Amino acid sequence: MEQIKITILLVTAILLQWTAGNVWQPLSHIDFVLIAVVYSSLQRNAIKAIFFGAVGGVAIDALSGGLIGSNGFTKTFIAYLVSEISRRFNMDNLFLKLSVLAVACLLDDLIFFGINFLLGRIPTSPFAITLAYNFIATFAVGVSLFFLIEYLSARFGPKGESFSGARRGKKSIELR
Amino acid sequence: MKERSQKEVWRLTPWLTLALLLGNFILMAYDARNESNERLLRVWVQTAANFVQSPISGASSATGDFFRSFYELRAAQEENVILKQRVEQLEFEVMQRTQLTDENDRLKGLLDLRSEFSYKILPARIISRDPTTWFDTMIVNRGSLDGVKLNNPVVSGGGLVGRVTAVSPLSSQVSLISKSRVGVGAIIGELGSSNAIGVVSGDGRREYLEMGYVPGTIEITKGDTVYSTGQDGIYPAGLKIGQVFDVRNGSSTEPHVILLKPTVRFDNLREVAILFYEPPSRPRFQTSVPNALVGEKER
Repeated sequence: MEQIKITILLVTAILLQWTAGNVWQPLSHIDFVLIAVVYSSLQRNAIKAIFFGAVGGVAIDALSGGLIGSNGFTKTFIAYLVSEISRRFNMDNLFLKLSVLAVACLLDDLIFFGINFLLGRIPTSPFAITLAYNFIATFAVGVSLFFLIEYLSARFGPKGESFSGARRGKKSIELR
Repeated sequence: MKERSQKEVWRLTPWLTLALLLGNFILMAYDARNESNERLLRVWVQTAANFVQSPISGASSATGDFFRSFYELRAAQEENVILKQRVEQLEFEVMQRTQLTDENDRLKGLLDLRSEFSYKILPARIISRDPTTWFDTMIVNRGSLDGVKLNNPVVSGGGLVGRVTAVSPLSSQVSLISKSRVGVGAIIGELGSSNAIGVVSGDGRREYLEMGYVPGTIEITKGDTVYSTGQDGIYPAGLKIGQVFDVRNGSSTEPHVILLKPTVRFDNLREVAILFYEPPSRPRFQTSVPNALVGEKER
């Protein structure tokens, strides 16, 4: 069930990323796919998170003017990094998760810009301003979603299980 | 369904990550080799995305228009009176212009000149913007099935918007002229009556464009209109690009740096028109010099 929920989350994130900017331009600063990838990585679904990172990233790249694969590369890397962090450290505290999300937001944009710059597809938007807007928008929406999920898990989920309950309860993970 | 232990998963993860990173890197390297965005993956994803983007874009436009119509109703009556006067004035002008066009056609026929502006126009709706905010591109709801080709110029009522950089059967990607890598051959004032020729490109901010290579000895006035020259081999001549907003004066050895306010407001675009313009073929010597690129690659 958890796997299905995360898959739906990623598909929704991709659809939102494709369409939000056209409804209202500033919404395109929110990286919905990154939020979904960080969330699934924090669930310790490492393999799924990495796949999501690659697929979600390439789906965004295909509609963007940037290099195909640049978002896929950064999001795969972020997914692996966050999965490793959540494996090595106890990430049950919500504020730790938010810190990870903040670092992921910054790192994602930095790597994306760096790769495109190095391979000659220089982004046209001013670096510092776009980075700041992207960070603020993605982090704000990410924090709200994380709080919402935490609240819903505490209220409706199995007793004592927050959204990282998979860490404590499950010893194995389902794979297709 | 196969169940794996966490230990097994963690052993597998780094290898899987490496494989996916490598796969993405190969995609990037392949894409970076050529400026043209015509990639099979892009075409397929664009086609799939079109089924989601078109209805959402249509619904959001309809909702926006509904609320906007209430707001605009108040000004409509006053505007109606002004427009009626304007219509009368324009009818007279149209009559005069029709006579001039007829005369022009007659004279061209006598001189055996072909019209350079005989290209079709295809209206299109913007269904998506660049999802990453780092690049100035947008997706329109017209594709190769409608006859759209790579590098077709895109305009809006006010002037030049950009060009088509990727085409899928149902939609196309348009790169805006505010994108700094794309240069447009331009002239300040009418072609033939001015020699202030330069290249317009984006300056990273959507509000302004930058015009370079205009000789520093030519006098530039703020407010002058800038048109395309057609010499870049992509855009037809005579399309309005913007107006001179600010000039950093050059000298006899240094060109001016001119800031333009674009005619088109890129953030407010909803509909555009795609021009089926075929640029005139280049003379043989231009394609045979050692540094010349041939065919699609040259754009």
